[in-house]
Amino acid sequence: MPSCSYIRGTGVLLVLLGILVILAPWFIFPVCEMHGLYLQAASGMQFPMTCGWTARAETGVGALIAVAGGLLIARGTRETRQAVGIFSIASGVIVILLPTVLIGMCKLADHPCRQLTLPGLEILGVVVIVVGGLLLWKRGDE
Amino acid sequence: MSKTHEFRFFRLVARNLAHRPYRNIATVFIIAIIAGTLFASQYLMSGAEQSLDAGISRMGADILVVPERYAAAGQSVILTGTPTSFFFEDSVFEKVTRVQGVAKASPQIYIATLFASCCAAPVQMIAIDPESDFTISAWLKRNPGVVPGVDDIIIGNSVIQNVGRDLIFYGHTFHVVGILEKTGMGVDNAVFTRFEDASVMANESGTKAVRKVTIPEGMISAVLVKVLPGASPAEVALEIQRQVPGTKTILPDGLLNAVSGQLSAVTRLLSGSTIAVTVVSIPLLGIISAMVADERRREVSLLRALGATRLFVVRLILAESFSLAIIGSFIGIGTAAAILVAFQDYIAYTLKIPFILPSPLALLAAGGGALLLSIGIVGLSSLYPVVLITSSEPYMALRGGEL
Repeated sequence: MPSCSYIRGTGVLLVLLGILVILAPWFIFPVCEMHGLYLQAASGMQFPMTCGWTARAETGVGALIAVAGGLLIARGTRETRQAVGIFSIASGVIVILLPTVLIGMCKLADHPCRQLTLPGLEILGVVVIVVGGLLLWKRGDE
Repeated sequence: MSKTHEFRFFRLVARNLAHRPYRNIATVFIIAIIAGTLFASQYLMSGAEQSLDAGISRMGADILVVPERYAAAGQSVILTGTPTSFFFEDSVFEKVTRVQGVAKASPQIYIATLFASCCAAPVQMIAIDPESDFTISAWLKRNPGVVPGVDDIIIGNSVIQNVGRDLIFYGHTFHVVGILEKTGMGVDNAVFTRFEDASVMANESGTKAVRKVTIPEGMISAVLVKVLPGASPAEVALEIQRQVPGTKTILPDGLLNAVSGQLSAVTRLLSGSTIAVTVVSIPLLGIISAMVADERRREVSLLRALGATRLFVVRLILAESFSLAIIGSFIGIGTAAAILVAFQDYIAYTLKIPFILPSPLALLAAGGGALLLSIGIVGLSSLYPVVLITSSEPYMALRGGEL
């Protein structure tokens, strides 16, 4: 069975990754609207670009990843590790799919969301998947 | 028998490494930084050079003639596709075709499109003369099914639209009939149309577009030149500049120099970091290895007393060191590659360089070079412990005289 510090450490890592997924599209690798870029309707009303909606969705997924990490810190049984492992893999996949397939980013190659937010979220998603995979692999016996 | 011996040898190596985790993690970290920075600088140079090759072969020309005042803007159009408009008289085209050494020439008109919102892209529109053009003709030869007609455009790889769909520029609707291959250069950000269609678009823009675009009568933006076989592009370019005043010629070599100049600060920083880390790490790793060797004299003496030869001990120490070098190199190269690939658009945009993913061969060369350097550094820093261990007598060490 993996040691208690290993499980807690992985839980803390997941909480940090969840926070990073929340912060990345707003502050670390900000999307277009954080640079003052909006879609403008003929009436003059401003709307977030596609990347803005992705950022909002990522905030929700990031929060769920952080909660899963907290769950692992609070109760690190074999079943919890297994469930959090599967959940993390699925969340990591969604972190990648939101900006690439499900919602997308702006279409222009020189927009900040395509240059920084997209690769940043892809890397974070891969790390979340790897951590989830490690949890499943090292779930051990009770 | 031999197989069993090899298995035990590597198990011993693995166990020895696992026995000193913190020290070995520190060594792996240093090696990873060296390999990662070296790989990054090689990667950037190969990506820029290959992008330039692809872009220049797409341009299909040996020389680009632009107005003297707009040489920098002309270079930006080719390298990064920064949308711009400039003109000189179309008599330049006639004069250029008459210069000795010029095999073919083709005029082009550059029109910067409007930036409207997320998906109405500010791209470089390039109007061509289908009769004399050789920029798109090579692509059309490879795609014989495509015959550009009225209001048809061929778009660069970074312009987001599919074949068969429409794109609107200055209120004029164009039909996408082809997408060019990725080059990493300005052409990726360009759309190619015919002179006639560009002219219609400009005439209609006064009523249909937010801002009117003007293509002055009897004016062109650039002339692409192909030189005769055997003629030197540099000499022909000089002759063009001499015979056609007010023009500036851009050559592939000049573009390469411009890119190298833009990249030099980054590559120098990366190379400098690699050298600094290497210079500091060789004695540091040497000291770590010497400390380990000193600690392990008793262990080595026991091995020797059990029948291990000096060669076996040397192999063991080197195998441990090289294992750390290989692990560190793979971590460093892998991390650098992941970051560089993920952020390659940002890097190219920030450094204002053309960039495409280097070929597998170039990647292999960059990775292999970084790996070899790491192994060399570790090999050098292992020399002292190897000498120290092999020179001590096991009997004396075990007896406690030295320990």
